[in-house]
This record gives sequence, structure tokens and C-alpha cells, in this order.
Amino acid sequence: MRILIADDSSMMREMIKRVVKLTEIPVDEILEAGNGAEALAILESTDVQLLLTDINMPVMSGAELLRTLAASDRWRGLTRVIISTDGSAARREEAAGLDVRCYLEKPFRPEVLRDVFQDVAGSNRT
Amino acid sequence: MSSRTLPGLIGPETGAAVFGALRTVAERSFFAAAERCDEAAFDALAATVPAWLVSSVRFEEGESAGSMSCSLPDALAERLFHAFTGRDPSEAPPAWADVHDLVGEFANMVCGAWLSGSAGGRTFTLGQPGVVRARAAAAGGGLRLRVVIDDAPIAIALEMDAGRRAAKSGA
Repeated sequence: MRILIADDSSMMREMIKRVVKLTEIPVDEILEAGNGAEALAILESTDVQLLLTDINMPVMSGAELLRTLAASDRWRGLTRVIISTDGSAARREEAAGLDVRCYLEKPFRPEVLRDVFQDVAGSNRT
Repeated sequence: MSSRTLPGLIGPETGAAVFGALRTVAERSFFAAAERCDEAAFDALAATVPAWLVSSVRFEEGESAGSMSCSLPDALAERLFHAFTGRDPSEAPPAWADVHDLVGEFANMVCGAWLSGSAGGRTFTLGQPGVVRARAAAAGGGLRLRVVIDDAPIAIALEMDAGRRAAKSGA
């Protein structure tokens, strides 16, 4: 499994990577992007199975990224997870229409993120 | 854009909501307990702080906008860094750029958690956090919260922009 983390905070990306490693789920590669545009460029050139994206990012927001992905069949097999400080009902409703598998609100306990990984990894195996 | 405090629209319930957000962030992401602190106790702790890191984030929610800043001592920022990243404190000290990033993310999470609980279900946007070093905690002219985490002081300042309706904060 190849994972892409899109978040403008390098420390948040590091924390997410640490949790991924602690799960001991086999991961081929963890890629990083500082905004939605960087993430899209990676997705256009690399086969990624799991996208973890923030919403509030410069250049291109996570919402714009997800709308772009949802508009094409090309990324149909990509599992999308939002990790954001924006836990508003309106944002969650919007995400539900953008093929988002899970919405994780910051702050979260690391074990909650671990459970998300295990859930996604389990469904990718089946 | 000028920023002016709207004292009538930032009340005690706002302070409780912001403190609730801070406590949640501290517990869930930094494994730390936050407690409110009176002015005298805060000032006594603040007098021992040689330098502060002040992280400010702007927010917009509908017709409301403003900024929130979190001021904390360097030493506490480093402790929070180790708690957040899982690094061993005995390792080499973190780069200041990483500590600044972490302090910015801290303010981002506190502001986001407050707005998520206060904005009546509406979406909001947060700007990029800006972090500076200062000799004193940010005072601001609006709401000011005095908090202690691990015996170290943290000050939260919240200001709403003039000319906009303030966020409802009683949720």
C-alpha cells in the first residue's frame, strides 16, 4: 500500500507517519505534500491507495483537491480520509458527497488514527 | 483590515468554549492537562519566562472574522513537541523551524476546535499560522485566557474584527 499525506504542517505529517509505522501494517511508501496542488501532482504520477488530507491548506485546499478527484473516474480506487480541524456539520456533509471514507477531526488520539489505518488496510486486502 | 475588539460580543461563555477547546487539544494530541489560572498566579509564572513563542491564526466564519493567538514559553513548546511527535526528549533538540510549525499547529487546532463547537455547524476557514518570538505574551484587546499546562503558563488572546458580526460562542 502506498500512502499520501497532504497537510501544510510538517509536524502533523510526521505524527501521522509515526502512527502508520506503529500499526505495523505493510506500507510500501509514505509520500508527503504540503498542499492540495502538490498532492494532485503526486496522484497524477504515482499509484496511491490511501490519501489522508487536511482541509485548510494554502495554494489548493483539501476540499478543492477532493472535488477535483471526485470529478474523474481515474482515482476511483483511491481511499480518501480527511484529517482536519474543521469538524463542522456543513464540512462533513460536503465530504460525504466527495467519496470520503472517513472524517477525522483534529485533535484526535493516535489510537483513533490507528483504527482508521487498520480498517482501510483490512478493506484493501479483501 | 483594522481589528477592533467587540467586548460586548466576547463574554464568559466564549472563555469557557475556548478553554474547552484548549483542554481537548492538550489532552488528545499532547497528553497534557490544562487548567485555568487566575491573574496573580499567571503573572508569577510569566515573570520567570525569558522568551515566548506567540502563534497567531486568523479565522473567518460567515460574516465573522478575527484572530486567535497562543503564547507559550520556549520550554513548554519543546515539551509539547516531544509529546506530539513521540520523540525521546533525550534526543538532539528539535530544529526551531519544527518547534514553530508545532506551535502554529497547536493554535490552529485550538481555534479549529473552538469554531467547530461554536459556529453552528457552518464551515470556516483558518489562515496560515504565524509564529514569532516575543519578550511577553500577547495581550490583545479582547478575550484573554490564562491557562497552565505542566506548571507552565499559556495565554490565549481572541479578537474579533470590527464591522463584522461576532461568532456565536455559547455552544
